[in-house]
Amino acid sequence: MITGYAGLPFGEISQCEARSVGVLGVPSEVDSGQRIGASLAPDALRKMSQQLGIALPVNGWDLGNLNLLGNWSVALMQLVIKMVDGDIVPVVLGGASNVASGVLEALPDLPVVAAMPLARGDVAARQEETIWVGLNGGQPADVWDQINQRSMAWRTARQLDEGDTGFSSMPKRAILWVDISVIDLGHAAGAVGINPAGMKPETLVSAIGAMTCSWQAIVITGLAPERDTRGMSELTIIETLNAALRNG
Amino acid sequence: MDDVAHKQFDAIPSFLGVPIGDLEDLVPGQVAMAGYFCDNLDRPAAGQRYLARQLRYASRPENAPANVTDLGDVNVFPLEVDKHFSAVISQCEAILETGARMVLVGGDSSGLKALGIAVRKITNTDVLVVSVTEGIMGNLSKTQPIILSVDLQELGGIWMSQPRRLSGLSPAQMIAQIEATPGNVVAAAIFGLAPALDNRGTTETCAALAILQAVAEHLEKGAS
Repeated sequence: MITGYAGLPFGEISQCEARSVGVLGVPSEVDSGQRIGASLAPDALRKMSQQLGIALPVNGWDLGNLNLLGNWSVALMQLVIKMVDGDIVPVVLGGASNVASGVLEALPDLPVVAAMPLARGDVAARQEETIWVGLNGGQPADVWDQINQRSMAWRTARQLDEGDTGFSSMPKRAILWVDISVIDLGHAAGAVGINPAGMKPETLVSAIGAMTCSWQAIVITGLAPERDTRGMSELTIIETLNAALRNG
Repeated sequence: MDDVAHKQFDAIPSFLGVPIGDLEDLVPGQVAMAGYFCDNLDRPAAGQRYLARQLRYASRPENAPANVTDLGDVNVFPLEVDKHFSAVISQCEAILETGARMVLVGGDSSGLKALGIAVRKITNTDVLVVSVTEGIMGNLSKTQPIILSVDLQELGGIWMSQPRRLSGLSPAQMIAQIEATPGNVVAAAIFGLAPALDNRGTTETCAALAILQAVAEHLEKGAS
């Protein structure tokens, strides 16, 4: 029997107190490519955190998985807004990247710290500047132009692995989006995206753990647990979440 | 052990492919290895008791250290704690009394505790337990008797079939720490790993085997 994520009890938003977290699974699936399995991620993370006996550094409730029948992205946005309005940090376990799109759309005025190998145009186009963590390989030219014109902060996977983790300025409040594809496939194979020469798992944990901003929402995407029999990918997410919540 | 008996045991897997022997085969300065089939007493985690067996199966004789003997497993009574510790301590004492150095392999950290008591009884001194993960104590003299504690749970997740944490030492780092350990290592315990018993466990088994080899060689040097 699966318990709530990291030992949290299952409950509803109304039970969450201010300054706590609400963990919500959104098991959407990638719609193309051969590396599917993202819909299994929320329950795989719950199971892995249960096996490891890991506890979160903050209190909260596990709100279960969002029902994906109908227009779930609207329901997701409403839930996220409701939690943030109540000073509850939504920790959203995707799912595919469309889960993050829903979270970001719900909170349009907040800056984003995005850990992913390829910068996304929709994120770069947000009003507030995005901080990019773990970029790797050729970036889309138009997005790259935008990043440079707006002097957004970024670090490549290699820079971070070599210890260049300092960002000159961090926003006080931000959304954290971690797509597990930011990790090198050789270290953690459970990702829907293939990223040779991506970040090491420990680097992601330490880079996120060193960030001092107060996370208003955290969203995890791209985890395909069945592709990683050892569970390194789930472990990476679990430790990254704990590192983020310890500070923010 | 006579030649007939040796031939009889030739086919039995042993740690690092070293000869199998008995207590009476030990001489001062030799290194005696024994398995510890117990994982329910201290920091319990099922499966740690299979490490000794797994390491024997994975061992090849090519790099067998010359001055090391595999004594088999110590007798354990995991459901009778007092009897268990008494038995393990007395067996370790019997081995150490021969003048041999001892390596206890596998199981949980209760083996280290029993080994520590046995060494203290034999040496009549408060022998230090030095952990490879805590670094080297700079003020140790070369003659200071110590027990080396090699906790394989401190290996980084990348080396494990079922990782429980990302951070940790690599096998190479552990081996470097073992080689750099000063003092007179009279005994060592290697424990804390529940190896996967299928192909997934190859990496961690190979890592543990390389670490065991480093421990054996370090104790051999100390014995020379």
